[in-house]
Amino acid sequence: MAIANVKVEGLQKSFWDESRGEVRAVDGIDFDCQPGEVFGLLGANGAGKTTTLRMLATILKPTGGSASLNGYDVLADPEAVRRSLGFYSASTALYPRLTGRETLEFFARINGYPANQVAQRVEELIDRFGIREYAGARVGKLSSGMKQKISIARTIVHDPPILIFDEPTVGLDVMAALEMQNVVHELRDEGKVIIFSTHIMSEAEKLCDRIGIIHQGRILALGTLEEHRQATGKHYLEDVFVHEVMQAEDQSAKAMASPGEPRTSL
Amino acid sequence: MNWSDIWVLYRRELRSAFRDRTIVMNGILVPVFMYPIMMWVMMTGLMFVLGQMDRESSRLVILDPPPEHSALLDTLGAQTNLEIQEDVISEDSAMVLLRAGDLDALVEFRPPTDESSALEDNFQVLIRYDRAVNRSSQASARVESAIADYRSEWLTQQAAALGIPETDREQFRIVQDNVSTEEDIGTLLMGFMIPMFLVIMIAMGCLMPAIDSTAGERERSTWETLMTVSASRLSVVTSKYFYVATLGILAGVLNVVAMFASMGVIMGPLLMDLGESANAFQFSLPLLALPVMIVAAIALALFFAAAMMILAAFARTFKDGQAMVGPVFLLAMMPILMGDQTDQTLTPLTAAIPVANAAMMIRDAINGVFLWPLIAETLAVLLAMVTACLLIARVLLKTEDFILLSPDGRFSKFSKIFKSSSRSRLGRNSSEGLK
Repeated sequence: MAIANVKVEGLQKSFWDESRGEVRAVDGIDFDCQPGEVFGLLGANGAGKTTTLRMLATILKPTGGSASLNGYDVLADPEAVRRSLGFYSASTALYPRLTGRETLEFFARINGYPANQVAQRVEELIDRFGIREYAGARVGKLSSGMKQKISIARTIVHDPPILIFDEPTVGLDVMAALEMQNVVHELRDEGKVIIFSTHIMSEAEKLCDRIGIIHQGRILALGTLEEHRQATGKHYLEDVFVHEVMQAEDQSAKAMASPGEPRTSL
Repeated sequence: MNWSDIWVLYRRELRSAFRDRTIVMNGILVPVFMYPIMMWVMMTGLMFVLGQMDRESSRLVILDPPPEHSALLDTLGAQTNLEIQEDVISEDSAMVLLRAGDLDALVEFRPPTDESSALEDNFQVLIRYDRAVNRSSQASARVESAIADYRSEWLTQQAAALGIPETDREQFRIVQDNVSTEEDIGTLLMGFMIPMFLVIMIAMGCLMPAIDSTAGERERSTWETLMTVSASRLSVVTSKYFYVATLGILAGVLNVVAMFASMGVIMGPLLMDLGESANAFQFSLPLLALPVMIVAAIALALFFAAAMMILAAFARTFKDGQAMVGPVFLLAMMPILMGDQTDQTLTPLTAAIPVANAAMMIRDAINGVFLWPLIAETLAVLLAMVTACLLIARVLLKTEDFILLSPDGRFSKFSKIFKSSSRSRLGRNSSEGLK
């Protein structure tokens, strides 16, 4: 049995909102991920994907439950968690006044990659992602495609065992999105644990070994694509997703109508 | 806190900063070139204005000149900067011209009063001019000077003719003797300029880096990237703080060096152009002044860096950051308010006023005054302010709403959220914060 590199149990996050009061953005999520696996979090905007991933990346602090990455608890040892992790999202930009090479060196060093191997590692990634031609140019002057490559290289430069991609293809053109998907495949083949959030069904279908459908802060269903198909009787992931969400909405409506009845979990 | 991480982060901040045009401009180029450019502009402007004024002739009307003093009329007529208008022959028409600005001065000769009629051919002069008009005031001054010179010479001749010695005629003479040396004058100038500009330069040096390293990170979306590195939040903030303070100190030190360099090289030749001796001012400092100034500059930079970062950290964009840091920058203007009181030294009261106290400490040092207990008070006050800022930063770092800036940079909204979330005690570890 493989070691669970990411283990999430009853993870919760509540926010205080001025107008709505206490808001449960993540409401008791459980899942785990194995090395060499791409775990997909599929959900609409506002479903709680980013909040969940930010908690795993220790940017946010859970208000309940627990999560550990590579054996480190996100609350007890956040620095060790971050050292074991590469985090990529549309909102993790690069420093525009550093060159690509300097960017990789900086992130390797600050994430604790052995100092005497940094230069070699950086050159290795420059070759791997084909960025040698512009590795000496300032990031701010590069095209978005070039920045994307450097950004992916930045995410993995310290060779973390776990990678989180939070909607990485948002805003990318078709070719860039395909390239991103290829990188994710390669990283999975290297044995990394990959958590991939998206709201694009085709992407989840294509990339993810297991998919967790997340809605209103809760995972409605979790399994391989085939397991989802069997459970719902639907073939396309889009139909599976709609089915799960509608079912959850129905149950929620029933629970609201008869507040005395206990809520059923999926 | 990991010092190795802080070093890596600090180097990254500096590397980025030295590639930013605005930071280099405000933190290095302005402090270095401000004095030479400012002095050149001031002196050139002064020379230009003086030149213009000298070239401008004064239009005069002279009424009833005494025939016995035709030499005076000749003297006035010979002056190239005086233009006597002979076509105006009445006081009324001259006054109309004067009020209309077509005449600069009306010079009326009058017979002596009874008291002054002891001397034959004595006379009185009434100069009418418009004080609200510079050109008219200048005309009055020119005529007064020319007549005073003539009168003094005439009185000397009259006294000699009457056999009265010059000393008896003068009775007493006022003689002024300036005992200050060129060094004293230089020290006065430095005591006025250095504290003021040093404080402003340090504040300016901190300004852009403080915004760039906080609001700038958010605007560029690099903040979240930074929050995912393995370094602790404290290491991240410490490195940023050192970076901002470093640029503040750098701006201050460069400014002082540039000032000394430019005083001799620029000021001397320009003074000579103005007809002054090139050695009219000499700039030298007591040996002890330099370390005192450096300590004051460091304390100021630490204070400005902390205060500016705290405020700018609430901003989501660079523009908001500039608006938020504005009040701290105003503090840098404090020495200007005390600028003309160059002979005042630190007192227990002034040593308690942040920023102004450091400026006065620097001024005292330039003047060779070292009031150690008050210097200690000044540093204690500034370091207390820094500590207060760092304690606030510590509280803020523990607050997710601040880290993610959910209140959109609005202080009022932030304080509401902060109070509400504290009250509701969200989460099991809400008091522990992010590490």
